[in-house]
Amino acid sequence: MGGRSEHYARVVREPNEPVFHTQWERRVFGIAPFVLLLFRGNTERLRFAMEQLPREQYLSGYYQRWLRAFEQMLVEAGYLAPGEVDARLDGRAPALDGARARSPVRLAVAARLIRANLRSRFPPWVSARVLPRVTGTMRPARAAPRFAPGDRVRVRAQAARAFTRKPGYLIGKPGVVSAHQGAALFADARGEGRRAGSQHLYTVAFDGRDLWGEAAEPATEVRVDLFESHLEPA
Amino acid sequence: MSSVRETAGDDPALRVEALEALLVERGLVDPGVVDDVIEHYETSVGPLNGAKVVARAWSDAPYRERLLADATKAVAELGFGGTEGQMIVAVENTPSVHNVVVCTLCSCYPWPVLGLPPAWYKSPAYRSRMVAEPRAVLREMGLELPAEVLVRVWDSSAEARYLVLPERPAGSDGMREGELAKLVTRDSMIGVARALPPGETGGRA
Repeated sequence: MGGRSEHYARVVREPNEPVFHTQWERRVFGIAPFVLLLFRGNTERLRFAMEQLPREQYLSGYYQRWLRAFEQMLVEAGYLAPGEVDARLDGRAPALDGARARSPVRLAVAARLIRANLRSRFPPWVSARVLPRVTGTMRPARAAPRFAPGDRVRVRAQAARAFTRKPGYLIGKPGVVSAHQGAALFADARGEGRRAGSQHLYTVAFDGRDLWGEAAEPATEVRVDLFESHLEPA
Repeated sequence: MSSVRETAGDDPALRVEALEALLVERGLVDPGVVDDVIEHYETSVGPLNGAKVVARAWSDAPYRERLLADATKAVAELGFGGTEGQMIVAVENTPSVHNVVVCTLCSCYPWPVLGLPPAWYKSPAYRSRMVAEPRAVLREMGLELPAEVLVRVWDSSAEARYLVLPERPAGSDGMREGELAKLVTRDSMIGVARALPPGETGGRA
């Protein structure tokens, strides 16, 4: 949404905002880890499902967006029949024979994994080493990094992909690599369920004037994390 | 008939109830664990965690160094980490640079240190404007920055989740860590506010 003026409006803070506003928001959030585990914790898949929703569903709100995207993902993966939630709401019998179900053992394993993450404190080595490795996406890459801090780069205007973690407002813009973060599984491929290799990941600094021209505010900079294939030397 | 169905289908409360019931019948969701997940994020995780990290960094110089070098590890020293905190990066506000965090693509946010994001952080208005007119948005939110201060906006788009280390407020010398933590608001760790001056800890956000 970056820089898209059709969304511009006043940013309104809600005093003493609760974590959840309604009971249904709680339920959507609470089933999320179960749904994500069915997709091996691939949050890019969820992001892609949200981006593919009809515009009015996408803009209907954060947890509504999650809810609709879960349904879409579960239908695509065969856990739900198309239209099954609507049928249930109508009081019609489920139309589905042979839906993918899971054994009680697998559910118990999922429940354990999810519960294990619900700790208010972890031993330091768990937070610092185990969880990033098990639940994160950083993976060493075989190739040497193509860029180094200080390098001038430009964001590629590559062929339109169905899913990308490259914000649209950066396309064609020049920037300077400010950090090499290591390498991570390529999010754009993961979102589409394609096999994702590891790619070097960089933080790139963009001068406000390079992004917005005359309209830029003085002395502003945007820093964004981008994969190596999003970038070319400038 | 179809209008009735559309009404029911559009109500997220009915919709999530139907979805959860289907998933429970199919053995895909354990509703007791759903309750636990909700309770965890309502009671155990929140900006008080981040405030402890910031207060420690203000009062312990070697800890501040470790935080800026590898925040995932430094945050883990206090026991925090996990979902949406697999790679935490701390960015420090100084008299010449002010940092502020956004996610223009979705609503990425460092859950282990700040809890779940507030509605305004997830709003199309914040997500669209913060990269293009950060000074205007900050001014609207009550933070006027001098023209000579560089505004650095972090658009979280990959693994890293950013935590702003706000400037330690004037007049807080000699305060202990526990007192300092009360000056650290959620908004100051996103970068849309400063830490509170001592003696002004009411109405924190």
